[in-house]
Amino acid sequence: MRKFWVLLLVAMFGLGAWAQVRNGAWVDEVVFQVEADAAKGLDMLRTGAIDLYWWDISDPDLVKIIVSEFNYAQLAGTYNELTFNPYGPEFKDGRLNPFSVPAIREAVNWLIDRDYIVSEFYGGLTAVPRYFCICPFFPDYARYADVARALELKYAHNPEKAKAVIFEEMQKLGAELVDGKWYYKGQPVELIFLIRVEDERRQIGDYVATLFEQLGFTVTRLYKTSREASPIWMRGDPAEGQWHVYTGGWITTVVARSEADNFGYFYTPRGSGSPLWQAYKPSPEFDEVCEKLWTSDFTTLEERRELMTKALELSMKDSVRVWVVNQLSYQAYAKNVQVAADLAGGISGAYLWGLTVGFVDPATGERLVGGTLRTASSNLLVDPWNPIDGSNWIFDMTPIRATGDWGVVFDPYTGLYRPQRIERAEVTVQEGLPVGKTLDWVDLKFAPEIKVPEDAWVDWDAANQRFITAAEKYPEGLTALTKCVVYYPEDLWSVPLHDGSTLSLGDFIMYIILRWFDRAKPESPIYDEAAVPEFESFMEYFKGVRIISTDPLVIETYSDLWYLDAEWIVTTWFPYYPQGPGFWHNLAIGIKAEAAKELAFSADKAQTLGVEWMNYIAGPSLEILEKHLDEAIATNYIPYEPTLGQYVTPEEAATRYANLKAWYEKVGHFWVGSGPFYLAEVRPVEKILVLKRFENYPDPATKWLIFAEPRIPTAEVTVPAPVLKIGAPWDFMVEVTFKDQPYPVEDMDFVSCILFDAEGNLVYSGRAEAVKDGLFVFSIPASVTATLPAGPIRLEAAVVSKVVAVPSFASAEFTAVK
Amino acid sequence: MWDNIRRIVSYFSARAVLLLTTVVVAVYLIIIIANMGGYMDKIKESEIMEQVYNTVRGNPALQRLSPSELRAILDKEIEIAKRRAGLDKPFFPWRSLEYLARGITLNFGRAERMISDSGSNQVRLILLERLPHTLLLWGVADLLVFFTSVFLALALSRRYGSLVDRVAVALAPASTPPIWFYGILFILLFASVLRVLPYGGFVDAPPPKTTIGYALSVIKHMVLPVLSVFIAIIFSSLYSWRTFFLIYSSEDYVEMAKAKGLSSRTIERRYILRPTLPPIITSFALMMISLWMGGIVTETVFSWPGLGRMLYEAIQQVDTPVIVGANVIYGYLLAITVLLLDFIYAALDPRVRLGGARRS
Repeated sequence: MRKFWVLLLVAMFGLGAWAQVRNGAWVDEVVFQVEADAAKGLDMLRTGAIDLYWWDISDPDLVKIIVSEFNYAQLAGTYNELTFNPYGPEFKDGRLNPFSVPAIREAVNWLIDRDYIVSEFYGGLTAVPRYFCICPFFPDYARYADVARALELKYAHNPEKAKAVIFEEMQKLGAELVDGKWYYKGQPVELIFLIRVEDERRQIGDYVATLFEQLGFTVTRLYKTSREASPIWMRGDPAEGQWHVYTGGWITTVVARSEADNFGYFYTPRGSGSPLWQAYKPSPEFDEVCEKLWTSDFTTLEERRELMTKALELSMKDSVRVWVVNQLSYQAYAKNVQVAADLAGGISGAYLWGLTVGFVDPATGERLVGGTLRTASSNLLVDPWNPIDGSNWIFDMTPIRATGDWGVVFDPYTGLYRPQRIERAEVTVQEGLPVGKTLDWVDLKFAPEIKVPEDAWVDWDAANQRFITAAEKYPEGLTALTKCVVYYPEDLWSVPLHDGSTLSLGDFIMYIILRWFDRAKPESPIYDEAAVPEFESFMEYFKGVRIISTDPLVIETYSDLWYLDAEWIVTTWFPYYPQGPGFWHNLAIGIKAEAAKELAFSADKAQTLGVEWMNYIAGPSLEILEKHLDEAIATNYIPYEPTLGQYVTPEEAATRYANLKAWYEKVGHFWVGSGPFYLAEVRPVEKILVLKRFENYPDPATKWLIFAEPRIPTAEVTVPAPVLKIGAPWDFMVEVTFKDQPYPVEDMDFVSCILFDAEGNLVYSGRAEAVKDGLFVFSIPASVTATLPAGPIRLEAAVVSKVVAVPSFASAEFTAVK
Repeated sequence: MWDNIRRIVSYFSARAVLLLTTVVVAVYLIIIIANMGGYMDKIKESEIMEQVYNTVRGNPALQRLSPSELRAILDKEIEIAKRRAGLDKPFFPWRSLEYLARGITLNFGRAERMISDSGSNQVRLILLERLPHTLLLWGVADLLVFFTSVFLALALSRRYGSLVDRVAVALAPASTPPIWFYGILFILLFASVLRVLPYGGFVDAPPPKTTIGYALSVIKHMVLPVLSVFIAIIFSSLYSWRTFFLIYSSEDYVEMAKAKGLSSRTIERRYILRPTLPPIITSFALMMISLWMGGIVTETVFSWPGLGRMLYEAIQQVDTPVIVGANVIYGYLLAITVLLLDFIYAALDPRVRLGGARRS
């Protein structure tokens, strides 16, 4: 018997130890297939035919099934609004446009009942009311939750007030109400609603149209698809009055750390060259605020807060857009699956999905090692894969991301960057810029001036294939607003690639050349005019790059681009291109093919040349790429030899090409990554793709397990007594938990509390103090309570965690008496 | 003899010219309809503007540019995108005629937006990659339906009024629901409830490694779509062929054959099947060329990678070269079939003469 227990213990420890040392992915294999019908996808999930359905579902009936039967990721990146045509008061043909009056647009906020829309059209599950151009699930809303909540109460549903304002303004415009109908110059006042038909915007459009009919307007409803509506509202001249209201919809696919620019984008002509945007005439005060936020013209976070507060208030007064709902979509997976999901982009939007996805024991919640994860989505293999300018479809980017690795990765719950392949970074910012940091891996400093060293590379000479230094291009000297130094670990050059090669400095140099410079230079054999606009905007802020040390690798970058978060300023130059991982040797054959005008990295150039859009994984491109690989092997080709030749030896070139050839013969494609999965099988017509675990991946599987589920806090407010005496100190307790466990104080950002009177006016606000893990106290001194009004008071607490951007809210009511 | 040849050649040429003209007109109409009479250009331009202007959002690098610099960059991007979409040339008359000329000469070139499954933008490959799957599914299903219904109908027509005949007639309304209805029903039954057959797709994921395993997996995936097509069509097809054969069965020469005491088999073969062959062959030929278009809804319900879905995507994306390519081939197939059927009729039925009888 003792033997048995010993053996059992050995086995248990053995398994535990094995799980500990497991590198890379938790599962052995991920299979992708297509199922466009969400209802069928969920049924497949129910019967175990698949384990994960990673397409967004927002149909309330299906969401009810998801919530009750499966694990799920919630996405909050889609939002709907009413866009108004602001031209007027009269269109070119003399018709009246009531929405040229800001007060009437503002009154629409009171007219519509967002709660009704949420419960009636979204089943109460797939949307929440939205009042502003900032997302209620993103950090900016959390930062200014007190301001936002006060405005939400101010603009809560109040049809009587809306009617009074609209009627008053209509009379000012010279319109007359005759037998319950509005007339202007003897003609009924007609409102043309451009209603999108693809989703709930149809019901929203009908609902708002009916409200206006009830107010005496004559409403014409034009039901249009995106395509049909676009030429009318986006491209048409607002002065012609082809429409008054359009049911707009927008999407954000990653958690936006700052949404300050949204005011400039949505309310001023800065946002777009479209005729509609050019018709926007914000008040001078609002315009100034928008401009400052648009250009980040502020120096402290307090100044930013003031600007944001003003912008929120003035955007409601302007209301060329009335925000209606923030949609919630769901991606479903089996109860025995865990995976990181981005709060805006879901599982498919999370860079870390490949490193976190795995099975769990449903009984114990313990992570299991191995297994095949079967997934489905509504599409796959939509466009050709190439790292430079290949498919950008989320259906393709999801598997692509799992094959790649990064210098830093997106935290799916806060939108901050975290170090993946780099060890640490130092960021220096010019004094006066309101940059802060949240995480320890970044060292933030400020300097009065940041000079760019003379030997920094600032541009690329495509004709001679060499970098241009700062001294050559800017002999008078050059300064930058930020400097970032990234430190890679000592074992960087042993990081394995899927084809058996190891990472080398050549991959970084190639990245610098190819990511921004060479394709935008007319002298380059792979010049692509489609790359020029992006390059030009890059050169507006890029000030230089310098390799400080090659082993260990240290790279210094100078730039005029800055963000509020220092983590965002870090530039790693790790060879992960916009559309996937790429290394100098597999990109070299693509460069050769494009230079020979046989293939092209971008769809634009392929179209111009009349050749195939380069595809590294299937189709006619493979034969051409193979031919160029054979040529590269024969000549031991090193691309950009005058520069890259200094970093890549002929031996390395020979080894790399031999590895690539063997890889192609083994797997039948040229897609090489360094991520936790490699592309094992591609069936383009069948729309099936198989990723297998890359056994040599250097990091332990547990590295990002903290992101396996979002730790969204739950809050509860306790009022000391239902009746509180004015003039006495008040203490309110705010309990913060996650899964009924106290939320650690070190993971909390802040708890903000706001008091509203019976009319919804903000009477007091402040921050709560941490008492211990999971407990905060909001104290109001007697001197303050003495100034508060008597009567019912509502206390709202906004709880913001450092590890999840989504704020949580709790409220309680009490009565204040003298 | 020479007169006959001349008559046939003349008839053939006239028919060919007429059919070609019909194809050209039909294809040009398709081009105009697909492009909404040129309005599609405005839609495409708006979409390009929308895409380009959206890049400004959340891009501080662009936001810190002066309005004129930003405008210059965006305008350049819009111009490149418009040129790439061919919007630098007017739809009428040049682009529309260019589409037509390329289509009619079978020089399909490259798609404007669509990409084949393997990532090629050649219209030829976009069509050819999907063709085998469509032929396999619809070929098997249609041939099964056709031969089953013709032979069963012939048998039923000989047993008019029998119990089997009455059951077959009673089942005819079972063909009222469309194929996709049966598709969803069978998926629910066999995939969701009984879990014995797959929900859809062409092959298991991941696909079996061996050829036999792969073939068996494909067959397994074909069962439900083929069954859906079969059940949705067989009863109405059976009923119409039975009625058709019944009409011929009551002809005087059939009664005469019966009176002569010929066997049922001989009567079926010589007196019923022979004169009914032209319409049967016509039906068969038209069915075969209809394979080219696949079935949009059925292929979607079963996630079958066929031409129907491809064509649907092309229509959604208004990819004119692909739409033209698919329709030109269909048009040519139809025209050639119609032309060939004229000859087949003449060969099978002595009452039919090509070019008409000379009047005396």
